[in-house]
Amino acid sequence: MERRTFVATLAAMAAGLAGMPVRSSTGETEIRYLRPPGALDEEDFLGRCIHCGQCGETCPNRCIRYFGLENGAASLDTPYIVPRDKACILCMKCGEVCPTGAIKPLQRELETILDGVKMGHAWVDESICLSYQGKTCGVCYRACPLQDVAITVGRLEQPHVTDKCVGCGLCERSCIQMPQAIRIAPSHA
Amino acid sequence: MSKPNSGGRRFLLRRHLNKLRWLSLAVVFAMLVLLPFLHVYQTYVAAHGYDLLSPDEKLLYDVMEAITSPFVKEPAEALDAIKGNTWSGTIWGFKMSDPLAVVGQIAAGHGVHWPFVVTVAVPLLATLLLGRFFCGWICPATFIYELTSNFAALLKWAGIDVGRRRLDRRLKYGVLAFGLIASAASGSILVAAVYPPAIIGRELYYAIAWGGLGAGAAFFAATLLFDLLVARRGFCRYLCPGGALYSLLGRYRAVRLRRTVETCNDCAKCNGVCEFGLDPMRDGFGQECNNCTACVAVCPTDALVFTIKVVDVAPQGPGHLGRRYRHGEASAAPSPAIEAKEAAA
Repeated sequence: MERRTFVATLAAMAAGLAGMPVRSSTGETEIRYLRPPGALDEEDFLGRCIHCGQCGETCPNRCIRYFGLENGAASLDTPYIVPRDKACILCMKCGEVCPTGAIKPLQRELETILDGVKMGHAWVDESICLSYQGKTCGVCYRACPLQDVAITVGRLEQPHVTDKCVGCGLCERSCIQMPQAIRIAPSHA
Repeated sequence: MSKPNSGGRRFLLRRHLNKLRWLSLAVVFAMLVLLPFLHVYQTYVAAHGYDLLSPDEKLLYDVMEAITSPFVKEPAEALDAIKGNTWSGTIWGFKMSDPLAVVGQIAAGHGVHWPFVVTVAVPLLATLLLGRFFCGWICPATFIYELTSNFAALLKWAGIDVGRRRLDRRLKYGVLAFGLIASAASGSILVAAVYPPAIIGRELYYAIAWGGLGAGAAFFAATLLFDLLVARRGFCRYLCPGGALYSLLGRYRAVRLRRTVETCNDCAKCNGVCEFGLDPMRDGFGQECNNCTACVAVCPTDALVFTIKVVDVAPQGPGHLGRRYRHGEASAAPSPAIEAKEAAA
């Protein structure tokens, strides 16, 4: 191939690609997933993550999994967490090992976690929550690593999620109701 | 090492570097297998539930404990010292990344993130010095590709046809450019999906820690078939985006091979053994030579030597021990006999 033709072909391919809405290809999956704690906003995260797999290889809880093609090509081999399967324990090791800062390095301290982690936000479906049905439960409150900061309980252990919830998902993981009455709304969605 | 009159050749380290290279490839590959097992072991330790493990899991636990207990006291924390793979890894807090990871991330992220860029320093320096050595000495995909290449030679010996096509080497620069453009357009480092060493690192982890394979495994299997059925070491030679980047960085490498024309006998063994299809017999090394030293090991007259020089020597003509020289043919053009020999090799 002549150099000129080669460059022209490249330019044509580039033009073709530029028109493709690849960015919008995320969010295709039916799975309600979270990014690891300290992850950047979805677009910046995808631009940073190099798919090296070190976050998952460091996670002591094995809650970080990796996408195949089900969430679009841009998400291939990127890490995610499904809290109902295995929730994040906020150990912050993934951010420490991440080479690109796609997951920010954060100290494992209350203030840093409250400031830096925004995986999602828990919400309570009062129509199925046992405590709101008069059966004192309180499991979500006891599972929360940020008790009385991110979640408080009232009469009959009825849970109230505060603005400080970081979305680790331990409440959703431990909710004894099926389907679960407390769930994380992912912040990337 | 040889005693006088023993008839043996003098011990030359460079003739044995190829074995050292195989050792290096095997060690890197073994590490990529071991690390996910260590990770799984760490998670078992962290869970404090040995009695709850299944017999298989207990076996894994016991084996990993036996391997690591002489070195570490607190495996759950201490084994975090070595993580990752050749694409990007951490060794005692020191992070190193593949140059393609850095270039690809810059393309995908539309900006430079310096804490990540500095992780390429050591690999980059080594590449500027040694050229495409990663491809021959470290790449976990090379380990498999080269075994496949040997397997193909076996098939050929058994009379089964294997791919021997030659394509345009510049294709891979196109793949590199296209991969970077696609990464920039999608905002995600797509080039990582078609780079075999990154795929191997990930897929070994998926297979061992999660008991399954990802999309990359299918791609890698396709490249193996391509190597076997279309062109020997075809992916590395013609398509690998990382190989393209390493070749560009290694164009003016300081350490390179040179043919000593005085002792060369034009036997063409070097050309036959070269995995990248280069032309050492006619001084054709170029930016694609990965200093693998397979040609050095095979040279019967030890005519291939290392030099410190940033460019190859100009073609020096036929070797002085060569047949043509002895027959008085001074022409630099290769004779039909040598061409036939090279094709057969």
